[in-house]
Amino acid sequence: MMVIETAPVAARRLGWLLAEVREILVETPRVTSLLLHVAGWQGHRAGQHVDIRLTAEDGYQAQRSYSVASPPEDDLLALTVERVENGEVSQYLVGHVSAGDQFQLRGPIGGYFVWTAATGGPLCLVAGGSGIVPLMAMLRHRDRRSSRAPTVLVYSSRSLEDVIYRDELDAMASRDPRMRVVNTLTRKQPEGWMGYGRRIDRALLAETCFPPEQNPKIYVCGPTPFVESVSRLLVELGHNTRAVKTERFGPSGA
Amino acid sequence: MIDNSSSGVLDGNAAAGLLQEIFVLDVTTAQIECAACGSTWVVGSLRLYAIQMGAILRCNHCDGVVMKAVRTPHGHWLEMTGARNLIFQV
Repeated sequence: MMVIETAPVAARRLGWLLAEVREILVETPRVTSLLLHVAGWQGHRAGQHVDIRLTAEDGYQAQRSYSVASPPEDDLLALTVERVENGEVSQYLVGHVSAGDQFQLRGPIGGYFVWTAATGGPLCLVAGGSGIVPLMAMLRHRDRRSSRAPTVLVYSSRSLEDVIYRDELDAMASRDPRMRVVNTLTRKQPEGWMGYGRRIDRALLAETCFPPEQNPKIYVCGPTPFVESVSRLLVELGHNTRAVKTERFGPSGA
Repeated sequence: MIDNSSSGVLDGNAAAGLLQEIFVLDVTTAQIECAACGSTWVVGSLRLYAIQMGAILRCNHCDGVVMKAVRTPHGHWLEMTGARNLIFQV
């Protein structure tokens, strides 16, 4: 099968497409994945996001952005959604959506926070909470393409129950000596937990991330304060600002 | 996952969608030169400050505003007085 490695620069208008829910996966108590069939979907690259638009019967519309969790190689498009308190869209998508439901979707959007197998490694991914989602698309893509790029995922969660894709990540790492998953649990650690149990700090990054001399490609995704903190620490450790790609979500200040 | 904005304020990714309504080429990978300090950045690396109905992009170096985009009921409004140029590589 021929796969186009680098999609051409998107020279097209961004238009709304119809997405239909085919499957719903409960990832954690607060997080759900939706597997969507999107009519006319042109494909995406790992790390990109989409906008979705819900329309109520009275015509009221709400629009939100979600990262794509699935790799380009999959037939269905996966979004992983965390329920946010009072989040009018996420409340619907986590718990109130059924197979067969339809809504509008447009994308893919954003060619900056993207990794393809051709980009190579070493690859250092740093996730805070549901910031794992676009990074998971990269890891799944890397796995499907049997990329040999040395990779480390540093993943901060509140507790073990909050680790999204835990089994899949463990399975990926156990069959691939070039991939390492480093979990840190910031609020609650199970008995006998041997991993990190604190917020990501400078020492933790120094111990886990590739050194600047190896010119790693670095992708950081999470809530805004998490991303600000991690990217500042990485620069302090000697990584070039421009080598650290970030994607923030959550209220973005101002 | 990027759903966050119960207040209705757009976040950075939502702002990327707004900008992409205006540009035909991928604007997040375009290079923008800050008029205030002359440094050049990939648009996707800039901080996007969400404002009501739109977004403000600030320079990574000097914090100057390089782009403001607003969606109004009558169309899109884009201000780029803070940028010298925007380069789309093909």
